[in-house]
Amino acid sequence: MSLLELKSLVVRYGEVEAVDGISLVVEAGEVVTLLGSNGAGKSTTLRAISGLAKPASGDILFDGQSITGLRPEEIVRRGIAQVPEGRRVFPGLSVRENIMLGASNRRDMKTAAIKREADEMFDLFPDIRRFANALGWTLSGGQQQMVAVARGLMAKPRILLLDEPSLGLAPVIVQAVFAIIAEIRRRGTTVLLVEQNARMGLSVADRGYVLETGKLVLSGTPEQLWSNEEIRAAYLGGRTAPA
Amino acid sequence: MDLVLQLLFTGIGIGSVYALVALGFVLIFRATNVVNFAQGEFSMVAAFLMVVFSVKIGLPYWVAFVIALICMAGLGAVFNLAVYYPLRHRTYLPVIISTIGASIFMANTTLAIHGPEPEVLSGWFDTPGFMLGPVYLDNQYVLIIVVTALLVALQYWFFEHTLLGKKLQATSQDKEMASLLGIPVALMIMITFVYSAVIGGIAGILVAPVLFVSIGMGATIALKAFAATIIGGFGDVTGAIIGGLALGVIETFGAAYISVPYKDGFAFLVLIAFLIFRPQGIFGERVAEKA
Repeated sequence: MSLLELKSLVVRYGEVEAVDGISLVVEAGEVVTLLGSNGAGKSTTLRAISGLAKPASGDILFDGQSITGLRPEEIVRRGIAQVPEGRRVFPGLSVRENIMLGASNRRDMKTAAIKREADEMFDLFPDIRRFANALGWTLSGGQQQMVAVARGLMAKPRILLLDEPSLGLAPVIVQAVFAIIAEIRRRGTTVLLVEQNARMGLSVADRGYVLETGKLVLSGTPEQLWSNEEIRAAYLGGRTAPA
Repeated sequence: MDLVLQLLFTGIGIGSVYALVALGFVLIFRATNVVNFAQGEFSMVAAFLMVVFSVKIGLPYWVAFVIALICMAGLGAVFNLAVYYPLRHRTYLPVIISTIGASIFMANTTLAIHGPEPEVLSGWFDTPGFMLGPVYLDNQYVLIIVVTALLVALQYWFFEHTLLGKKLQATSQDKEMASLLGIPVALMIMITFVYSAVIGGIAGILVAPVLFVSIGMGATIALKAFAATIIGGFGDVTGAIIGGLALGVIETFGAAYISVPYKDGFAFLVLIAFLIFRPQGIFGERVAEKA
């Protein structure tokens, strides 16, 4: 049984089918990346999994149980955390408070225990430790991305959904973010990663899916996807110069 | 100088009431992005409830007070479910119209049940006041100031030092993200409405012995509190408190030194001046923090 399975998922925005019959699986322990250009339906797929977008048809199974149509609060309680596009760090709360709120899906957690865990997060994200008491809006994009991922991990998710973690970040920061994704994977958390930056996405993934205007057009290992010249030209950021 | 101190005391007293109602405005605004135009009616309804429990039924003052506030908590919950919740996915305009409708409904329901005559509600104290040096301190104003200060301190502690307070703040800053973290957003908004109705009610009961208890008192208080929130900077808790106090002081001094009949006019003169020259209010910049 797969950890996460989408069956013929359809999500509409008005008349437009943003996600048009996608089926995919994520196995426990895998890092799977969802690639595609702008408007391909990647973010919408993640929003549907988290319960922010209601599917018009199809089914979403988590651990074999349908979670389709459940409220976002209930879905994250079951162990699916999302770090959404744009990071969405609470601007008026401190970095530590932002991270602490990541544990809101876990019942019976004492505030002191949450605070301790949040402080432990700074071991994984040493760059933001000195901003622990700074308000969210004062941080740079890269630092906010660290906060957002740390907040996502505080949910102790069985699967972490990451939406465009590299968007708008300087290349060196992107490297740091992906080093953290590799570390998350090493710790055994399953990851479903949405990326426009295919090179980065495939560098940490076990498998990848390519989306085009709401439909799956290709799937495979990073090597298979990367070696497909046509796909590389169309969806994966152009032809690469020879090394 | 004595007169100045005396006016300052009175101004801060009445300003405290504006500040409390303004707090209700701000908390609901931050949680729902909508101005609750029925906020003043919470004060009016609570004052009438107090008249019923304390004067008509004859319960001891504090018992009547507690029962009235429990009723206000219930009213806040019903208000949320009936006025806000069904429209929560709509834009701000239908919700605003809904709160205006609720305001008219609450005023006219009170009118239908009670009738148009104003009521007198005595205060908590049997004695009217005392002298502190050159200043005469009216007991009710002292009570208003002390209760307001305590409520503000309590609220500060709650929002800054409890996890629930942080969850409420998170909800007001980004509801969708809050729900992604597992924060029960609907419950957070419910808590906000209940709390706002209760502090609006406390403001109404506190100010009732100073004013008459009348159907129109809600609208008057709400207009002043609304002005206070704009002066302070909409959406800012500190701004609401400072704005409320400032407004109370300004209109008290205006009434004493310039013209008594134009007392209410000074509040709105200041409001208009702020709207023209500093529409973001005193603490306005901090509102625009959302990155």
